[in-house]
Amino acid sequence: MAAIDINQLLTSIKTATNQVLNQDIATIKGFSDRQLKDIGQQAITVAEGITTGQITEATRDFFLNSLKDMVKNFLATLEGLVVVTIEKLWNAMVGAIWGAINGAISAATGLVLPLPTQA
Amino acid sequence: MGILKCLTGKGSVLGLVLLLLSGCATQLAPLYDKALMDGLTAVNSSAMELLASAEGGTDKAGFGTREPGYNQLIGRFDALSLQSAARPVPSNDVLADVRKIAGDKTGQAPAIPSATALNKLARTFAMMRDTDKAQGLTPLEVKAFRGQVVIYLDQALTYEAALKR
Repeated sequence: MAAIDINQLLTSIKTATNQVLNQDIATIKGFSDRQLKDIGQQAITVAEGITTGQITEATRDFFLNSLKDMVKNFLATLEGLVVVTIEKLWNAMVGAIWGAINGAISAATGLVLPLPTQA
Repeated sequence: MGILKCLTGKGSVLGLVLLLLSGCATQLAPLYDKALMDGLTAVNSSAMELLASAEGGTDKAGFGTREPGYNQLIGRFDALSLQSAARPVPSNDVLADVRKIAGDKTGQAPAIPSATALNKLARTFAMMRDTDKAQGLTPLEVKAFRGQVVIYLDQALTYEAALKR
């Protein structure tokens, strides 16, 4: 059986997870920054409209309720993005680990271990 | 986590099938839907065109010319919301446990956020249409509708793009 090189394995795991983290954190940060700025601006617009009477009684409650709903779905979207990142991290890590194990045992034994799944 | 199963019989048909299965990755979020993303990109530009045409405010007298545009957008956003929500969300014990720890007593997976955003976009344009029809829109109301549309579109587009992995 070929031995697993621990340094090589650690490098593989680190490379795979760093790639995911760097890309996804940039996406999540960019999304958060845009949403916080836009939701803040929307609150200013609604307040200004109510003050000047340009946001009429017909739409006032709608816009106020919508601000609450937008914040709620912003957080739900953030959670969804994090779940996708966790999925990628899981697959990157088990891919590297099981790849190393299969590399070590398959030539001698003919065994190929399937990737574990979260259930 | 499932128990690892070894496969034996290198070269056998069973071995080949299991070898292919070994490449299956864990899925925690819905699958990417290219048709949905294409539809979303197209409706995004139509929505921005309608908002731009109303930028200075509207008079209810001219509502008739804008009504088909509103109706088309509402229909398209409703259809995309249904398409987004129709995808199965993988159930997963690990994530359900995390949600319970975070205070969610049900531990159930939340609604797909892009489906919620798309539904809210349809409701936003329905409100804009009805207000336009009843009394016209002030420039600041149009600005507020536009702000809301941009926020929900960003939520839907960012989430759907993230599913392409």
